[in-house]
Amino acid sequence: MSQATLRVQKMSGHAGSVPGDDAQREFTVCKLIDTTTCIGCKACEVACMEWNDLPFGETVFDNTYQTMPETRWNYWNLILFNEHEKEDGSLMWLMRKNQCMHCAEPGCLAACPADGAIVQYTNGIVDFQQANCIGCGYCITGCPFDIPKMNPKTNRVFKCTLCADRVSEGLEPACIKSCPTGCLHFGSKEDMKDLAEKRAKQLRDDYNFPQAGVYDPAGVGGTGVVYVLHDATRPELYGGLPSNPSIPWSVKLWKGPLKWLGNVAMVGGLIGLFVHYLRFGPKSREDEDIHPRGENP
Amino acid sequence: MTNGWVDMKNTDMMLIMGGNPAENHPCGFKWAIEAKRTRSAKMISVDPRFTRTSAVADLFCQIRAGTDIAFLGGVIKYAIENNRIAKDYLIHFTNAAFVVEGDFKLPADTDGVFSGFDAERHSYNRASWNYSGGKPAQTASTAAGQSAAPPPLPPLPEKVDYDLTLENPNCVFQLLKKHYSRYTPEMVERITGIPKEEFQKAAELYTSIRKDGDMKKAGTIIYAVGWTQHSFGTQIIRTAAMLQLLLGNVGRAGGGVNALRGHSNIQGATDMAGLFDSLPGYLKVPTPADSSFDAWMKRTTPTTSKPAPWNSWNYYSNTPKFTVSFLKTMYGDAATKQNGWAYDYLPKVDRDYSWTHLWDNMYNGLIKGMFAFGMNGVAIGPDSKKNIDALKKAEFLVVGEIYPDETSEFWRSPGISQDEMKQIKTTVYRLPCAGFAEKDGSFTNSARWLLWKNAAVPTPGECRLDQAIVAQIFLKVRELYKKDGKFPDPILKLTWGYTDPKSPSLAEVLKELNGKALADLEDPATKAQIKAGQQLPGFAWLKDDGTTACGNWIYSGSFTEAGNQTARRDPSDPSNMGVHPGWGWSWPANRRVLYNRASCDVDGKPWDATRRQIWWNEGTEKWVGNDVPDFKADSHPKDHMGPFIMNAEGVGRIFAPLGAFADGPFPEYYEPFESPIQNPLHPERTNNPVVTGLKSADDKYGTVKDYPVVCTTFRLTEHYHYWTKNNPMNVQLVPEPFIEMGAEMANEMGIRGGEKVKVSSARGEYIAKAMVTKRIKAMMIDGKKTYQIGIPFHWGYRGIAEDEGKTERMMVNLLTPTIVDPNAHTPEFKGFLVKVEKA
Amino acid sequence: MNHSDQILSHGRILRYEFHERLTHWIAAGSYIYLMLTGLAFYSPWCFWIAALLGGGQVSRMLHPWAGLIFTGAILKMFSMWSAQMYPTGADKAWWDSIGHYIRNEDDQMPAAGRYNAGQKLLFWGFIICGVLLLLSGAILWFPEYVPWNLRFLRYLAVLIHPSAALLTIGLFLIHIYMSVFAERGAFGSIIRGDVSLAFAKRYHPGWYEEITGQPASPKK
Repeated sequence: MSQATLRVQKMSGHAGSVPGDDAQREFTVCKLIDTTTCIGCKACEVACMEWNDLPFGETVFDNTYQTMPETRWNYWNLILFNEHEKEDGSLMWLMRKNQCMHCAEPGCLAACPADGAIVQYTNGIVDFQQANCIGCGYCITGCPFDIPKMNPKTNRVFKCTLCADRVSEGLEPACIKSCPTGCLHFGSKEDMKDLAEKRAKQLRDDYNFPQAGVYDPAGVGGTGVVYVLHDATRPELYGGLPSNPSIPWSVKLWKGPLKWLGNVAMVGGLIGLFVHYLRFGPKSREDEDIHPRGENP
Repeated sequence: MTNGWVDMKNTDMMLIMGGNPAENHPCGFKWAIEAKRTRSAKMISVDPRFTRTSAVADLFCQIRAGTDIAFLGGVIKYAIENNRIAKDYLIHFTNAAFVVEGDFKLPADTDGVFSGFDAERHSYNRASWNYSGGKPAQTASTAAGQSAAPPPLPPLPEKVDYDLTLENPNCVFQLLKKHYSRYTPEMVERITGIPKEEFQKAAELYTSIRKDGDMKKAGTIIYAVGWTQHSFGTQIIRTAAMLQLLLGNVGRAGGGVNALRGHSNIQGATDMAGLFDSLPGYLKVPTPADSSFDAWMKRTTPTTSKPAPWNSWNYYSNTPKFTVSFLKTMYGDAATKQNGWAYDYLPKVDRDYSWTHLWDNMYNGLIKGMFAFGMNGVAIGPDSKKNIDALKKAEFLVVGEIYPDETSEFWRSPGISQDEMKQIKTTVYRLPCAGFAEKDGSFTNSARWLLWKNAAVPTPGECRLDQAIVAQIFLKVRELYKKDGKFPDPILKLTWGYTDPKSPSLAEVLKELNGKALADLEDPATKAQIKAGQQLPGFAWLKDDGTTACGNWIYSGSFTEAGNQTARRDPSDPSNMGVHPGWGWSWPANRRVLYNRASCDVDGKPWDATRRQIWWNEGTEKWVGNDVPDFKADSHPKDHMGPFIMNAEGVGRIFAPLGAFADGPFPEYYEPFESPIQNPLHPERTNNPVVTGLKSADDKYGTVKDYPVVCTTFRLTEHYHYWTKNNPMNVQLVPEPFIEMGAEMANEMGIRGGEKVKVSSARGEYIAKAMVTKRIKAMMIDGKKTYQIGIPFHWGYRGIAEDEGKTERMMVNLLTPTIVDPNAHTPEFKGFLVKVEKA
Repeated sequence: MNHSDQILSHGRILRYEFHERLTHWIAAGSYIYLMLTGLAFYSPWCFWIAALLGGGQVSRMLHPWAGLIFTGAILKMFSMWSAQMYPTGADKAWWDSIGHYIRNEDDQMPAAGRYNAGQKLLFWGFIICGVLLLLSGAILWFPEYVPWNLRFLRYLAVLIHPSAALLTIGLFLIHIYMSVFAERGAFGSIIRGDVSLAFAKRYHPGWYEEITGQPASPKK
């Protein structure tokens, strides 16, 4: 992979064509997270902080091993810890690394009004360009995974970049690099799906997880981050992973039919008024001016 | 570890107990995960708490802290009863067939102790813990030391009686069977709190690798300080070793008994005589009773003891070679045959200088000062208050550290008033030292691999390398001795031939440890030659005639004429067995799996053809393989030489004879020193009979009446000991101390997560927020509902959160007792008693 | 009834007092800003407007504040004018004759009061849309403070805000057209405050009658 991966194939708030669209033969990159081998060590959290030079924030004890309740504008990668009691009384301590899912059809990008504030590279990475961000927060509403977070001081939104800077130089993202157990993998979407399915099959066949499966939700066109779950039928156990995420209906309505209806109405209205003027003109003509200044009827 | 980190990937079955590697060894734990991923290996986690390791395990059993021997003894019983044992391995590679002397008695027959117990001295006369057989002509040393000392032990018989049918009622196997027949699933449940169905599930799963006598699979036992930190810690590990011998797992790829060390170089510290009773390379220290070098060697060099037709290499018969070479390194030309290799210069260890005794000595005014480098003695504990009280009485304290820590600021510990502070006369010297990334040198990891590292950054400010500080103190002391030393020779004649005497290079030190030839040498067999002054290729070259010098025989081979072997970084692994022969260097002799002869059957064929480690090559008549054979290379299998070459018997010790252990040749279950119940096996003998508490005013021990809750301490992956509380990154990950308690207990007490609770023991108290979790459940212990709590120990009174006033500025080790294991002197940090209240 | 006191000395009728005109222009100014920046956020085709107005960040920063100003003006208008804006029976007749109005056949129209039904629609349209815009706008202003489990509020807001805005744009266009292009004199009334008697007579005969006490249309 080369710098060329940073060509943009989708761009938020943009009129006209997008430079990299339809121009690449590149494969889509993907991160695989095998929650069944995650030990919640937080190496990925630290690596993310370090690579991206994110400033420290304050945390408080919250009756959990989880670093903070949810990701922050300066904390893009957070392992969610959930204690789950199975029907047979045995315990599962589920750990899921949470970060941007890099959707093929990103809700954030769909919702974003600012030209080029959110882009999708030809390799599938969804990236925020803070220079172009206007701070409207529509991406927060567009995201079905609650990922984009606003820096209240600068009014710009941040999230995981999938280390686009590293990937463009042929390196894996920092979290992948740091993972000690190898529960994180990085490669082409195809390879990762393959690996994930094999692992899920192993979990079904050799371990006691008949419902093991792969999380790659179709509702957002598939994701650039896929999970192997012990129980793929209940992703919400893993800290509220939505079982069927999609771009919110209202965002779709707003950015789709409503926008076109509005455009047509506005342009139509203007034309209509102009035509009315041509046809009927003003209600009073110059020669029957009804209120010359100082007139006293 | 008998095996190594990477070797874990070869396993089929993991029993992880007394350790939480996912939490404390996440990097090494990758290989456990690798085994799961590539071999569908199974993992059993047995722990007082459902841990990060349990989260990825296939089976979890919640055990009461400190009851591991009961659990493991139960598994031994299960394996024997269900014939899940490695019969051939057992007969030929262990002492299962050896016959034990008739007057040896098991605790079942002698009120909960083994034969020979001296109740007055709290110690054993271990003479009866011996094999039966022909005695050597000569008996042990004649001159007993002080009259108070126990009588010297008889030697092992030269020719041991044995019974390959294993039916002799006094053979080791029958004794083993008898001894653990009492460890029924019901008994295991009463003691450990693990419901017997669950225990049986675990026993079934672990021993399933030997189903139908199949020898192909291998299981590993992985542990850490959850096993060592008990008043019977050594015996827990013994039980694990016995189980592994029983199942034929030792010496096998993916098998072994694997200790995970808690720091990057703890293995190196013990290799280099970190314990008071050993010299580098685990040579035994001389005592005042060793009147001469020869007497010392006679006492510490084992003689061969085996069934007559068998063979035993008894590698420790080379002890004089290792020792003379060590003394030549220490004293150079001043060590001669005539002066017993300067034996008189060596300090003689006259009493117990282990950790708790050092502090006790200081507390009692026997020790006047302390150099504390690379450790935070006050915080480490146990019984931090006693350590603080001891330091108050010291004349001086020198601390080499990278942060201001609890030890260097012991006088500021909470509870010391301004007035009292003024009374403390201890002079404290704080020496800013180098951090690990600012030094070069080698780490020896848990797998015995020595890995050289380079300094990443220079030391900041006025910080100095530790070896520079120590060297300059030494040089100063030498000057003083030159002036008017009482017995100056041991100091003045110490070799100090470093290029920069004020700051010896660590590479030079490693060279010194590796050893060199002091004269031209020739191997009579191969005719290979080494010139005087050249580095030795390995410890096989060591001589007891003063022609070799070697600072640590097990490190011989680490820095040869070919250069620094520990700096090698060849990742290739031709056999794909995780051997990586060109990556760093492991002791001994760069072999990665110890006792690997046992990976083959008696005829020298690997038990599992898909995991070949070494094998007997009939053509060349040599042991060859993917790993370095841990064996005499030309010993033909028909000679029946035992694979456990470091034992005088040549075989694995299921029965540990004579002086091997202070508290029994078989492990017996005893309760922790502070225990919630009487020992169900023998209520009249609840605790380890050879363990006694210390006697100072600060040494207090509680009972279940006042302190009904079982407490254990643990570490978090987010923090490193008492360092990272100074690092904002780690503080962000886990900002505050906490106390982990089960939901049922919390409900009963009306405590919600995040509320402060006070935990008290007989020694002190600790206040932190409660973490209420489903991961610790109430247990039924001997029919009594019992709660357990766990406390991570990373906080104290200096650190980011501490300095910001966000904690109670307390240390967990204010709670822990000064009770130690009688063999390894490790304190009982796990499984003591406390009470819990709302704060 | 006679309100001839509203006839100014120079013979014109005072239609909007100063505070009314000021309020109108505060509303108008803030609305135009809101509409322009809103359009910039609404469609990529209009994003250039944001650039003209100081950039996206500035537009996004000022838009909600302008919204507050607009809301204030709207509230003031409500307090000033709502009493006159309630629909009357005459309004129904006016709507029935809307075709005449569109074709400029004003003489065919039923007499309108001070505000004709169209103007009332404009008023209530802006009031109602203003409230909707305020509520949805508040959510959109601080989306990050809306808890995840109340996220449906954000979903509603993103739909309501542009919908309401589009409605106001429609009203706004007609309002501009009528006041600037169609009805000469209307624009002056919101600048100077007064209209000619002829204007009143033509466009708001009911009001004319009320003020002058004279019938506006001899024909009727």
